[in-house]
Amino acid sequence: METQASPVAIQRSIWDGRIPLEIVLAPSESRTYDKTDPYLVSCHRVSYLPSLLPRLRAFFSTSLIEPSSQHHEGWFTFEGVPLKWHYPIGLLFDLYAGAEPATRSNTPNPDGQDDESPLPWRLTIHFSGWPVEDLVRLDPDGMVMNDAFINSVKEADFLRNGTAKGIMSLSKEDSSGLWKAVENVDLPSFQRISNTLLPPLSQPFRNVPVRIFLPLPPDEDSPSLKVVQTPIPPFIPTSSIQASQSISARSSPSTQPQTVGSVLHMLLPNLFPSRRTPVLAKPVLHGAVLPMSAPIEEVVRCSAYGDGWVYVVVRMMG
Amino acid sequence: MALSAFPFLLPAEFESACRDLADRCTAAQAGWFTRLVTQTSPSLRITKYMDVQTDPIQVDPHEAYMIRLEEDDPEALVRTDLNPKLQVDYDIVPVLYFALRWHHYNGPVGLEAVYRYVVPEQYQKELKSVGIMGGISFGYHPESGAPAFFVHPCNTADAMAQVTDARSATAGTYLLIWLGLVGHCVNLHIPRELVASDSAGLS
Repeated sequence: METQASPVAIQRSIWDGRIPLEIVLAPSESRTYDKTDPYLVSCHRVSYLPSLLPRLRAFFSTSLIEPSSQHHEGWFTFEGVPLKWHYPIGLLFDLYAGAEPATRSNTPNPDGQDDESPLPWRLTIHFSGWPVEDLVRLDPDGMVMNDAFINSVKEADFLRNGTAKGIMSLSKEDSSGLWKAVENVDLPSFQRISNTLLPPLSQPFRNVPVRIFLPLPPDEDSPSLKVVQTPIPPFIPTSSIQASQSISARSSPSTQPQTVGSVLHMLLPNLFPSRRTPVLAKPVLHGAVLPMSAPIEEVVRCSAYGDGWVYVVVRMMG
Repeated sequence: MALSAFPFLLPAEFESACRDLADRCTAAQAGWFTRLVTQTSPSLRITKYMDVQTDPIQVDPHEAYMIRLEEDDPEALVRTDLNPKLQVDYDIVPVLYFALRWHHYNGPVGLEAVYRYVVPEQYQKELKSVGIMGGISFGYHPESGAPAFFVHPCNTADAMAQVTDARSATAGTYLLIWLGLVGHCVNLHIPRELVASDSAGLS
């Protein structure tokens, strides 16, 4: 028998998850072209790239050809693709880095320093030439980032409850506290505020906030992300074949919990012909392959990002 | 046809609502340019052109010089309309997204420009007072992925339920009522012709 991790333990290890980054200054902006020392940092998966900007601006200040640029003018690319700063770093890594996700039997060796290793993840920072067609501009006070985060929280809250009253009635203090807690990766403060937003365990979500990111086609000129999203109820009617199987106490006899596999099969039947086994593609969350049998509401309750969303990246197999 | 999920719309109802509104605009010659997009998920694009009185100091001197050159050149095509025009593309997806584009002028396209040129004065205070940065945010267009503004949708369903009900709203009138609620604050006023052509249905 495998030991089952508690939801609290899962959430803690997700918030502890880090990715080593190696950040270089865009050669065209550097006085020493590509000879500038890189900035190395171990970054929390649940945090966001703009939080690094003040430190990066200070670190590269003596190398910049354009010394008047400000930290909020900083933007990141990976292999030439501008990274959307409103997505958490862990999601961007799962989307772009091409790292092999962890499975139950195979935990990638973090010390594996071969040439193929995606770690550290090598990003480029730019402080000029903001790509207006791709990225929303930031401001010096971090309000734009804060606003984007809270809008995402609202959307998740609306799906869970059918109204956005929860987040709308959150005090100003708690509303800014929620963002601060994510910014500082302060799990206890985060839990205190987010627990007031989540429906109690006895009350299922109205819909489950899940976004699914499709694999990026190689060699495409515009690397825009393909995202699938639809209202997903946490319970579905029981089909006659499965009716005899035992079901959770919270569901009525005629419904069963929606699983990761049933969601993927419903939304992407070509990529996921089976509800139980990954055949052509596998779902990745926080750098690990998600079990197809996991009830989707439980996954969201313990392993959502700070904005309440679960961002699943679909990775092709073979 | 009654709306089964009122105050929400089902995807099929949304598509037929978009089609209905596009047809009305064409029929009424509302001064809007509408385009129904049905590729992946349906959406409705409404384009509006606004004449803007701008501060002459802000005109890009290079562009002003080029315009003068053209005016002095007898061979140049006659351009009768060189006043700055602001093009606003509104997309109903069904959240209201919009983006700004200038013609004959190199103007700002950020949030401050939205409040300066697009939001009518009477809505400014109210809009700025909600949320972190006000009731309009800069986000990503769900279809194109490009940066675009959107009007916060939080209380739309409640507001819809207050002004109409499931029995009297149809797919055809739903978007008109919705635009009446959401559009005002970003200068998208429903032309009278659109409503007049259907006054019975909107009673």
